[in-house]
Amino acid sequence: MSDSQIIVGLEIGTSKVCVAVGEVGENQVVNIIGLGQAKSRGVRKGEIIDVALAEEDVRNAIVEAEQVADVEIRSVFLGVTGSHIRGFNNTGVHPVVSADREITSADIQDVIKNAKAINLPTDHSVVHVIRQHFRVDGQDGVLNPEGMLGAKIEVDVHVVSGRYNRLQNPIRLVNGLHLEVDNISSSALASSLAILGMEQKELGTLVIDLGAGVTEYAVYSAGVIKHTGVLTVGGDHVSNDLAYGLKVPLARAEQIKIDHGSAVIDPEAQDRKVDLSDDSLIPGRQINLGHMQKIMSMRLQETLELIAKDIGRAGLIEYLRAGVILCGGGARIPHITRLARDVFKLPVAVGRASTVSGVKNALDEPEFATPVGLIKFGAFQAKSSPRRGGIGRVIRRQVAALFGR
Amino acid sequence: MSNPDEQTEGANPTIRLIGLGETGVKLVEILAMIAPDGVVAHSLDTDSRSLSRCHQSQTFLLGQAIPCGLGTGGDSALARGAVESDSDELTEILRGTDLVFVVAGMGGGTGTGAAPFLANLAKQAGALVVGVAATPFDCEGIQRCNQATGGLRDLKQVADMVFHFPNQDVVLMEGADIALHQALEIANRHLCEAVLGVSRMLLEPGMLNVSFADLQASVQGRHSLGSVVHVEGSGEDRADDAVQKILLHPAARGGEALKYASSLLVNLSGGDVTMAEMDAVTAAISNHSPSAKLVVGVSGQGSGEALKLTVVIAHAGKLAGADQESAPPKPDPTGQTSDLGYSDPFTVPDTGSYLDLGKESDGKNRNGFTYTPPAPTADALTPECREDLIRVAAKEEPNRTKRRKIIQELLPLEIVSKGRFEKSEPTIHKGEDLDQPTYIRRGTVLN
Repeated sequence: MSDSQIIVGLEIGTSKVCVAVGEVGENQVVNIIGLGQAKSRGVRKGEIIDVALAEEDVRNAIVEAEQVADVEIRSVFLGVTGSHIRGFNNTGVHPVVSADREITSADIQDVIKNAKAINLPTDHSVVHVIRQHFRVDGQDGVLNPEGMLGAKIEVDVHVVSGRYNRLQNPIRLVNGLHLEVDNISSSALASSLAILGMEQKELGTLVIDLGAGVTEYAVYSAGVIKHTGVLTVGGDHVSNDLAYGLKVPLARAEQIKIDHGSAVIDPEAQDRKVDLSDDSLIPGRQINLGHMQKIMSMRLQETLELIAKDIGRAGLIEYLRAGVILCGGGARIPHITRLARDVFKLPVAVGRASTVSGVKNALDEPEFATPVGLIKFGAFQAKSSPRRGGIGRVIRRQVAALFGR
Repeated sequence: MSNPDEQTEGANPTIRLIGLGETGVKLVEILAMIAPDGVVAHSLDTDSRSLSRCHQSQTFLLGQAIPCGLGTGGDSALARGAVESDSDELTEILRGTDLVFVVAGMGGGTGTGAAPFLANLAKQAGALVVGVAATPFDCEGIQRCNQATGGLRDLKQVADMVFHFPNQDVVLMEGADIALHQALEIANRHLCEAVLGVSRMLLEPGMLNVSFADLQASVQGRHSLGSVVHVEGSGEDRADDAVQKILLHPAARGGEALKYASSLLVNLSGGDVTMAEMDAVTAAISNHSPSAKLVVGVSGQGSGEALKLTVVIAHAGKLAGADQESAPPKPDPTGQTSDLGYSDPFTVPDTGSYLDLGKESDGKNRNGFTYTPPAPTADALTPECREDLIRVAAKEEPNRTKRRKIIQELLPLEIVSKGRFEKSEPTIHKGEDLDQPTYIRRGTVLN
């Protein structure tokens, strides 16, 4: 039996390490068969700061997923994130030289190759080059120009790049656990894959993944990805603000956030006090709910406003006809949709991984969007280049056999 | 001039200049040379070397109790510790003073850390406290600028009013080709003008007097950024000339500062001020600032042709913060050069005042002065810009009574612990450190 049927998504997040195991059926239907997670201790702002701790957490999560799904995990699709990840658009141009001016598949390969020729700083490497639309002699919005007639063919691509060394860190960590990395994907892209259906991509949607360490966002319009971004501000910042503002320990702030948090200021809670009945603290300590909500809502509002500004600068806010979809742990904050609605002036919903089937609780929780999306990403990869992936995998395994095992 | 015992006798208010840190000491040294009689200058620093260069002012080495005789190296917390350790001596110095100018360059250690504390001491000693602050050039680094912003905010919370001059304004006015020493000189000159203008206004005997009480009434407890504009008008139409220069002055923000002023103290001095001139000046100013409370004074002592015009612009907190956040429209720089064309180094003149410095060299420019600034109108502000201003104002000072209760100042930005993110790569977005709690960066007070 080949293991190509089983696809595993691994996200080494700031608050948790999450592994999702998916089975790809006959007609590319993805079915989630297992989940494993572990509290993450070695990650800050989406990037590893303590390799030993992170390794232990990843191992725990993998083991749990293996038990639940009853499979042996050999390779994973890895989500990467961090402040070094950049997304931008690029255009490739190619003249059609054949006598009859018919665009052949070779022309298409060439124009995409041109679009991939990007001047990146030497320490950066490309994570994704995603095709958007072709233009043939200025005719916009061509999806597949093969067989059309034209003199000049252009293609717009969205490029995601990151610092090579920092991309390598999680890969090396996973390799150190005798697992292979099939491919890496930016977490923003993975989350949006899990959540968005064809129609939402077509209408135009902004997906915001409110993680613990980073907030990532991706804009889809006219069926293709238009813009991605990473903001290294997340739920950790909210907790940290609360710890600072309410003068409580960080772990306590985290708990207060979960128990009493709100993204908007509730006028009725302004003067309410909550007892901190924790034995380690001074007895009778109270915190003011109004202050807490104010600290929290200011931070969240700022984060969303920064995203809104960035999208506005890219000129995409008008194209978001399907509104904004939130995922990640931050999507669980009460009233966050109301706050986002006020900031973006658009309909806002919390995302569900609706495009796959399987274990119910994996799909209903917004924080599992990234690992589930990674499985979808893996399924696409396997579909689009089965042979190449196959060969690559064989080679990788041989290399691994030489060095690893 | 520097003997404090001599000048408690007259009816004049006691004015003390206190320079803190290297920039502050330098400025006070300059001011001490040219200030009118009755102004006592003190230089305070944690660096004994900078004090050893002082000859005109009384020096005081801060922080002898904690060893930092060679400066604080940009550590504002250390500076604060130093000034706190000397608070008894400083209170003694400040006793019985009516008006204290706290002169400091923001962004370094001593000026940033010690100025708010000293202002507070002066406040407790019963003086009216006016901060005079220079903030660094943008190119001096985001760290320094942030520290400066923090220091300025702290100073503003304690002082009744702060005259703030961003050094970067010089670059905007003069272009980036200006030599550094010239740029610094111009910045210093603007700050000196502010202090001198106010001191003169209060100390010079006048026909229509602007008294200390007037100043007190218009700035006390405002905790806002204000400005002082001091210009000289000359030529046949010296009143018009002076008014135009007021509007072109960087501190007037193209007349915008006037528009948002809550009170204005206008002092004219010069030989034989005519009623027509007085009328022209007050009409022009009240035209730009219809709602402000206007106090006009005339002192006849100033001799010669020139008409010296000093305007103290006090805001009701309206522009506070806004003039740092939104770039104010700059008047045409070509018009500015004639106004700011001084290039002589600061030297003690044999006769005449400091403000006569460079007057000769400037004369030819002044005759050719033809630039008329467009009258700033309400249209000059776009609706968004105005909204921003109002929002900033609302955030900055929700209401004054509430503000006054807050005596405990916010700690400077640098001391805000980043907790969990202390050691991680900072998230800097457009110069803002997003790791610091939003509510602190926005200056929201939880109470």
